[in-house]
Amino acid sequence: MNAALLRALLAGSFANRWRALLAVTCIALGVALAGAVHTIHSSALDEIGRAARTLAGTADLELQGPRNGFDDALFAPVARVVGVSVASPVLDLEATLADGTGTLRVLGIDPFRAARLQAGFVAPPAGASVATSAEPLDAARAFLTPLALAKSGMKVGDDLGLRAGSSVVRLRIAGALPALDDGGAVAVVDIAAAQQAFGRVGSISRIDIRLAPGANAAAVREALAAMVPPGVAVITPDADSRLSASLTRAYRVNLTALALVALATGAFLVFATMALQAARRRGEFALLRALGLERRDVALFVAAEGAILGAVGSLLGTVLGLAAADLMLHRFGYDLGAGFFAGAGQVLAPDLLALGAIASLGIATSVAASLAVAKSLARLDVAQALRDRTADLPVAGVPIAIPLALLAIAGVLATLPSIAQLPLGGYAAIAMGLGSAVLLVAPLMRALLAHAPRMEHPVTFLALAQVRSLPGHLTATVAGVVVSVALATSMGVMVHSFRLSLDAWLDGVLGADLYVRSSPLGDSGFFSPGDVARIARLPEVAAVESLRYDRMLLGDPPTPVTVIARPLWKRVLNGFQAQPSGGPAKEGAIGAWISAAAVDLQGWKAGDEITLPLAGRPTRIQIVGTFRDYARTWGAVLIDQADYRRASGDERANDLALRLREGVATAKAADAVRRALPEARLAFDDPGEIHQRSLLLFDRTFAVTWALEAVAALIALAGLTSSFAALAWSRRREFGVLRHLGLARRDVLSLLAVEGAATGALGALIGLASGAAVSAVLVHVVNRQSFHWDIELHWPWAALASLVGATIALCSIGATLAGRAAISREAVFAVKDDA
Amino acid sequence: MIEVRGLSKSFGSAVLMMDLALDVAAGELVAIVGESGAGKSTLLNLLAALDRPDGGTIRIDGVEVSALDDDGAARWRRVRAGFVFQAFHLLPYLDVEQNVALPLLLNRVAAGERRERAHSALASVGIANLASRTVASLSGGEAQRVAIARAVVHAPRVVLADEPTGNLDEANAQQALAVLREAVKREGAAGVLVTHSRIAARSADRALLLTGGRLEALAQP
Repeated sequence: MNAALLRALLAGSFANRWRALLAVTCIALGVALAGAVHTIHSSALDEIGRAARTLAGTADLELQGPRNGFDDALFAPVARVVGVSVASPVLDLEATLADGTGTLRVLGIDPFRAARLQAGFVAPPAGASVATSAEPLDAARAFLTPLALAKSGMKVGDDLGLRAGSSVVRLRIAGALPALDDGGAVAVVDIAAAQQAFGRVGSISRIDIRLAPGANAAAVREALAAMVPPGVAVITPDADSRLSASLTRAYRVNLTALALVALATGAFLVFATMALQAARRRGEFALLRALGLERRDVALFVAAEGAILGAVGSLLGTVLGLAAADLMLHRFGYDLGAGFFAGAGQVLAPDLLALGAIASLGIATSVAASLAVAKSLARLDVAQALRDRTADLPVAGVPIAIPLALLAIAGVLATLPSIAQLPLGGYAAIAMGLGSAVLLVAPLMRALLAHAPRMEHPVTFLALAQVRSLPGHLTATVAGVVVSVALATSMGVMVHSFRLSLDAWLDGVLGADLYVRSSPLGDSGFFSPGDVARIARLPEVAAVESLRYDRMLLGDPPTPVTVIARPLWKRVLNGFQAQPSGGPAKEGAIGAWISAAAVDLQGWKAGDEITLPLAGRPTRIQIVGTFRDYARTWGAVLIDQADYRRASGDERANDLALRLREGVATAKAADAVRRALPEARLAFDDPGEIHQRSLLLFDRTFAVTWALEAVAALIALAGLTSSFAALAWSRRREFGVLRHLGLARRDVLSLLAVEGAATGALGALIGLASGAAVSAVLVHVVNRQSFHWDIELHWPWAALASLVGATIALCSIGATLAGRAAISREAVFAVKDDA
Repeated sequence: MIEVRGLSKSFGSAVLMMDLALDVAAGELVAIVGESGAGKSTLLNLLAALDRPDGGTIRIDGVEVSALDDDGAARWRRVRAGFVFQAFHLLPYLDVEQNVALPLLLNRVAAGERRERAHSALASVGIANLASRTVASLSGGEAQRVAIARAVVHAPRVVLADEPTGNLDEANAQQALAVLREAVKREGAAGVLVTHSRIAARSADRALLLTGGRLEALAQP
């Protein structure tokens, strides 16, 4: 095909600017959504990575311990390991500001050792060089990064108040650390002073290590791994960002998958647009074929059309996605509502390679949609098309064996385990299931229409005759409805199931009358045994339960595990839906329940014996069963408080669960606790508030999901309306004839409404069945493998019925509105038009 | 049967009809000829109550169709009018018999009677053997005979034909006109044939020339 002919044909194809614009918009939206989601997360991970690199300086390795620390006696043997050039102990904790308005990351360091890894830890006084200025930190001094100064609203010379237990520690701000600004909002304090101030004497969080020149890194790593106790992981400094990436991967991949659904829906619209163009220009293509244009030239032309739509859409989408990411970063931060990231920098760090890949995907989907049309056009019967002005879509038929085979493959894929902690089998099963549903539409339509009862009412008779005569159009339209309804159904069922499961779980686990948190924002607060005793003596309080948490990295690669120590009454175990499948603990071992995430990520199972560091002490734990934990996506271990205290000697508590005396209001009890611990900055929650807040967070998390789903549905609806409009316009002569023969305008509109409703009903019912299957995969495979949560399937019958009703109504209204122009006065006179 | 009095119609500054009068008797086929743009099709649309006149009245079989509202006009056309178009305008998704039976379907005639009357109409135009054929398989002449059968199957009081021979060769055109004239006579309907061809007009009982907004008798059709 020569360039001049291609140009002439393309000029004709984009003659309907609005339809081309709609197709471009849909591709752009899909690309923009995927690009924005990816950019926001790449920006968040970039900030975490930058912070880790800045604070680690030239360190090659880190020994990372539990959140509550490990024994600092480990430091000396580590420093002596052959191949270790510098070892620097660090106490790392998130301290709550005294006024409770936020947190600062506090790093307790040995300044002489830390400065050898990162010179920026030592603030140079004016005129002094870094090498000579490393004056030791003392207990009353802290150095803050500029971001920390800004966050705390303080300046050099001010006193910085930080929560420590239930009291406040005051530190004089002795200087700023501009070289560490990329490290985030950090206060640097002498390690001994920090241990003392925050009740962590003898405990450190990690040891940063630089290897000696020429040291065998693998050998050193191996030697270190052999000497560290369980709960202390040997990792590289970039592991923080990798860990964050790993923790959020499932969430990101799920959002990206949804964005890609929007893109796929956009591709459907491109297909519909191209197919309608092809139908409209059927005679033109037939003429060109008659004049000597080859089949592959037609295919090339249609592919070029798709590529142009895809390229324009992808380019616009990329720009739109970057703008949206920038806007969302500044308005909502990095977390997109899910609470995974709390970075403050909000610096846009787009991943150009990924954006390029997403844009290419936009073009590829558009070209693929065009090629599907091209394939059908290749089979065009030139002689027939030159005579006949039928406007059916050239949809290719496939043998029924193909969708059935796809369904069978989908069933197998759904049983595959996760790959790289991602439910790739589940996603593939969903894609194949939806593909199969779309391919089943045509044979189902044929079967249904063949057995449709004879209609006597003129409107229904004509509507049925019409849909019978346009199987291609019907298939494409119904397929669009099927995909939209299937996605809406599956998302609806998944979210409903999850919400009900969470609701029931919250009901079970929130058994106390009032919860008191020692450190609402950071991890520097705690209740001492004395604090607990003082609260227990209050006349308003009937009983106090202490809750203690720790978090550590376990396994290879290291993944986090949270240890929860609390009194485990039968009521509590029932609340956590614990399944005691492993039998009682053996003599000398502590019995513990593990979450499904611990089963999936650590490979533990009931009956296994593991060793966990409890307050730094390695302790034998026997897994006696599993419990449900919807609070985290990483592993959790639930052990009885008495066992924990006996094994660890740690009698502190992070949170308290209070049972109040009969008739005592929660507000009155909270006042009494505040009076008992006047220095503490406590947070109080009654179970109702926690319940409500949890469901609010749940809804917020899924708000993004719903927004993406809504965009996909809107794109699909736009596509349907476009299809209906194009078809109605191509049928305007037919409507003109019917008006001449005595059908009133409203009869023709009724005809369109019936056709639209029939299309919607067929699509909605097939979509509902497909969506039910997809939701089972989402709940039992994707959700379990992504977030490691066990959820029961619940069906939102009323919502599903509304969805079917709304789909039928929208299709009916869409078809009617789309047809209004086609039955205007001018259209009635179109019977004169022989074009 | 058709009584048109004082009919006027303009489009902007273009006056198409001015104090136009027309009478067509039952069983009579009247041809209206005129140059392109003279207003022939507009007159046909006015007779079919698809358009409204600026002034004057159109009375057909005692009904003042120019005063009907949209729904009333649709009902009137359904029962009383039959149409034949230049491009045949058969519905491609119905077979020949169903196309012919379409006016009966719109008038809620029972399926058995529909089939019977459609066959009878097809037989009257000489193509009973084509009943089960698809529209796409018909020749131009056959398609126009099907269209004529559709126009008269429900025994309308008026048959309006707009350039019915425009897409046909001379032999087929002559046959189609003969079939149309015969159908009009047989049904006792008033027939109006709009054409730019004076040869086609010769097949009508009378021929009128639409010129200057009025109808003038043509001495020799």
